[in-house]
Amino acid sequence: MSCINNILNKYMKIELKKFGTTLISRQNGREAFAALQTQIAALAENKNLELDFEGIITFSPSWGDEFLSPLVKKYGSRLVLMNTGNPSVKATLELLEKINQIPFTR
Amino acid sequence: MICIGFSYVLPLAYMAEKELLTISEAAEILGVSIDTLRRWDKSGKLSPIKTSDAGYRLYDRIQIELFLNDLFGLAKDWVLKGTEIPATFYCSNSAEFQTRLIRMQGLLGEIKALNQIFTLIVAVAGEIGNNSFDHNLGNWPDTPGIFFAYDTQKRNIILADRGLGIFATLKRVKPELNSDEEALGVAFTEILSGRSPESRGNGLKFVRKIVAENPIGLLFQTGNAELILAKDSNVLNIRPSQEPFRGCLALITF
Repeated sequence: MSCINNILNKYMKIELKKFGTTLISRQNGREAFAALQTQIAALAENKNLELDFEGIITFSPSWGDEFLSPLVKKYGSRLVLMNTGNPSVKATLELLEKINQIPFTR
Repeated sequence: MICIGFSYVLPLAYMAEKELLTISEAAEILGVSIDTLRRWDKSGKLSPIKTSDAGYRLYDRIQIELFLNDLFGLAKDWVLKGTEIPATFYCSNSAEFQTRLIRMQGLLGEIKALNQIFTLIVAVAGEIGNNSFDHNLGNWPDTPGIFFAYDTQKRNIILADRGLGIFATLKRVKPELNSDEEALGVAFTEILSGRSPESRGNGLKFVRKIVAENPIGLLFQTGNAELILAKDSNVLNIRPSQEPFRGCLALITF
């Protein structure tokens, strides 16, 4: 279904586990963000960018700040985060919201 | 030094230089409850070095460090004196650290009692370790890299670096800082956004939040200051440390 929606350009879904399941360092976060750019270049205006945390074991603010902060600043509420129940994901998102003063859409 | 099982008897000459800790301070560093330390005293597993006139148990800092299987002592000697450390505890770059951290994550993930928090423990260790690399990249005074060791039985993780320390690196973006203690306080409490010329620096706030809300403890030393964050507590205990050094040294207990 998500593939069909992707094809129809209803939204674009990115599975974060494709960048690894332990997302820790700034360096890796920067590299992941750079790699993402080619994927989201086709995202139509007013369409959502969905980031799926399913399968992530450990997530930290360093990686998150490099990857999520620029995305939320650019897309705002169009950036939709899914499966954010992992304790380290939850704690990291809360800190990034404080740092950026922008709430994430979950 | 005579070691009998887990009990340590210190020679008289050494006792003159001891740094005494109260039972609550010893408990915080070891990451156990005061009641546990009282039980350990009765059983002989870990006895206080002396009792105060008022009847309070007093422990020696080095005695506590030895009890932690000396991983902490190894790290401390490395940051203080540059002594050689086993290669198994040394990560020369962040990629090596990441690999070893993932290995630790796998081991902690197998411990049922840590099911709810192992991911937070890994994130805390990851933030502290990566902080060392991020803040010292291209500026290591002598030895690049970090000390990283853990003991899943004793439930502790030790991280250390011979870098510039929190004060020197934070002063780049906050020139008004005057001391290690002040810098340590800012690093663990003040959210810095839009920092120029660098964006990094909020990882230790994350560490504090996790420690405050979970059964995870932290002892963090840098320069001539140290911070103790007790498990499940939001109290920030910052004070001068006995043995100043330039880098950072952290003990995580869980």
